[in-house]
Amino acid sequence: MIINTTILSWVTFIYFGSAIFYIFRMVTGKEFFGPLASFIALAGLIAQTFGLILRWFESYKMGIGHAPLSNLYESLIFFAWTIVLLYLIVEWRIKSRNLGAFVIPFAFLSMAFASFSPNVNSRIQPLIPALQSNWLISHVITCFFGYAAFTIACGLGFMYLLKGLGKDEDSRPFLRFLPGREILDELTYHSIVIGFIFLTLGIITGSVWAYSAWGSYWSWDPKETWSLVTWFIYAAMLHSRFVRGWRGKRMAIMSLIGFASVLFTYFGVNYLPGLHSYF
Amino acid sequence: MKKIILSFLSSLKLTITLLIIIAVASILGTIIPQQYEGGESFRHLGPGLVKAFNSLQLFDMYHSVWFIILMGLLSLNLIVCSLNRFPTSWKLFRKKPSLDRSKPFENLPPDRVLLIEKNRNEVIDSVENLLTRKYKRIRRKDTASTTFFYGEKGAYSNFGVYVIHLSILIIIAGAIIGSLLGFNAFVNIAEGESTSTVHLGRQKGIKKLDFTVRCDKFSIAYYDNGMPKEYRSNLSFLKNNNVILQGPLLVNHPITFNGIRFYQASYGSIPGGQANITVKKGNDEGTTIKIKQKDSFFLKEKDAKVKILRIEENLMSMGPAVLISIQTPESNMRFWVFKNIEKIRDSIPGLFKKVPKFNPGLFKPYYFKLNRIESKYYTGLQLSHDPGVSIVAIGSFFIITGFFITFFSSHKRLWVRVDEKEGKSRISVAATSNKDPVGLKRETEHLLSHFKNELG
Repeated sequence: MIINTTILSWVTFIYFGSAIFYIFRMVTGKEFFGPLASFIALAGLIAQTFGLILRWFESYKMGIGHAPLSNLYESLIFFAWTIVLLYLIVEWRIKSRNLGAFVIPFAFLSMAFASFSPNVNSRIQPLIPALQSNWLISHVITCFFGYAAFTIACGLGFMYLLKGLGKDEDSRPFLRFLPGREILDELTYHSIVIGFIFLTLGIITGSVWAYSAWGSYWSWDPKETWSLVTWFIYAAMLHSRFVRGWRGKRMAIMSLIGFASVLFTYFGVNYLPGLHSYF
Repeated sequence: MKKIILSFLSSLKLTITLLIIIAVASILGTIIPQQYEGGESFRHLGPGLVKAFNSLQLFDMYHSVWFIILMGLLSLNLIVCSLNRFPTSWKLFRKKPSLDRSKPFENLPPDRVLLIEKNRNEVIDSVENLLTRKYKRIRRKDTASTTFFYGEKGAYSNFGVYVIHLSILIIIAGAIIGSLLGFNAFVNIAEGESTSTVHLGRQKGIKKLDFTVRCDKFSIAYYDNGMPKEYRSNLSFLKNNNVILQGPLLVNHPITFNGIRFYQASYGSIPGGQANITVKKGNDEGTTIKIKQKDSFFLKEKDAKVKILRIEENLMSMGPAVLISIQTPESNMRFWVFKNIEKIRDSIPGLFKKVPKFNPGLFKPYYFKLNRIESKYYTGLQLSHDPGVSIVAIGSFFIITGFFITFFSSHKRLWVRVDEKEGKSRISVAATSNKDPVGLKRETEHLLSHFKNELG
């Protein structure tokens, strides 16, 4: 096994550890686990960044140099990276660790799928002609930051619904630990705005790329279509908030629906015929 | 009646319903194979279903009448909504509230009020100084006992949503212009050949170009592991038999000529390749020739005419092979010459006895060796002419601008009242914002702490 994949498969365990501590903290209500979980997540992020850079170097050493964003394995790894990066920024900004238990597991799952699924090839492969474009990097980065923001919104939605299960003055520690509903609602909204902007940028950069590779900026390829469907879902969500003032539970449920659509855009489309088959 | 239609067209319910219907329809289109994908893969559906799907245009759904009507309704909904709401936004933008209002200060939480043990005039000056630093234009009104200040920020944020909606309409307009005035076409050109007619894609039929495209050469390069590295067509564009433009066409690097963009879309090999053959006699070096199918040459010594009957890239999964016929005054014979004959012979013991036709040394004392087949390719080009692209690009740019205005700016209004209470100066701060209550709260608290520090 090449060294970068070894590092990256270790990062899977690091994120697992971090997720476990975040969950411990929530369930036991002991703040002690919090800094530990954050520290482990940060260590994982640094190790992963190092692994990604190493992978980039290794591809150049093989004479087929390209950014590590070119197949399913690399995209899964990058997905996890964006989730943890975005999460840690949010944690630092809102100075609260409650969200970790709902978000870091997604990063772990993505890493685990990349590292241990027999269907995911971890080898560094050269770029086929269709992928040899400067738009590859900007397209993948914008899309995955969007996906990561939607992942965080989904985690917040879960949290909101879980909070809704208990009464307001619930004595169970792990419900009491969750932030207030208004804050959750506001955070969900902000995550969705960030995700929506990145998704739009991802669609635009993808269109520009398609215009130089496939002969048309939009060809109703399943991935394009599904990204548009996802865009519609979040657009509907933002409108119902702005115009109708929808808040709370409805938004939480919609953030879960939106995330399901994101997941289908990412994975499900591979089972449909189309041009995006290499992801 | 007009009113009912207008209120129907401007309702959010219609927007959401349309978004859902379009989303569901689009999803359907990703499941039902679409015509332009070229496959007849929907045959398994059965004739009845195919007929039903056909009449609903489900095989070319994204261009069907009903899908276009849905998109048209969405655009109309967007236009009516925007026109409906615009006057309110414009009022918010233009209208400045009267200054001495007391309404903003009703129900003001106590932490938005500061009591300062200083002369009121002194306080007013400091407050005005601080406010002008934070807000561009501060308006002031003095009454006998009270001074009011009013400032606002980000009034333009009311228009962000119109920028977004207009951008979407611009993008749709660009798409319509593209589909009305543009075209998509494809053409296969064999190496060395040229053409000036191409096949239209969705519109069907043939289009004559006012210039000629020639494919001088097509080549594929591979990586060491066998994955394709590059597809390259060397094209020449001619007008009146003069080459105007020449260049390599690669995937991701289209060529534009006469307003038409050419893309490397596919390729294939065609019969008419050349076989590279060595004819040996005993242990000599032999002579190597390149020869096309149906061509022949002579072996003088034996007065034999050697003809290449067929050239096969891959015969019976055993690799490249050529069928040779040899005519001499005495005899006629035919046999296959495989490129990988050694491997084939090793894997099937006694091959030449069983199948003499596979023996490349059948015509003694000669031995034929197939070095390789130099295949002849055709290049598959896609052509597109889309005058709507720049319009779509402009729309895309403005939609992002609109997002930043809508999501990252807010119209904040600030009222500050300075009066006296129980011998002290009293500063009350009230603020409203159209969005971003968290940011507003932060900013207001920041302002209050500034007042406290400078005056207290």
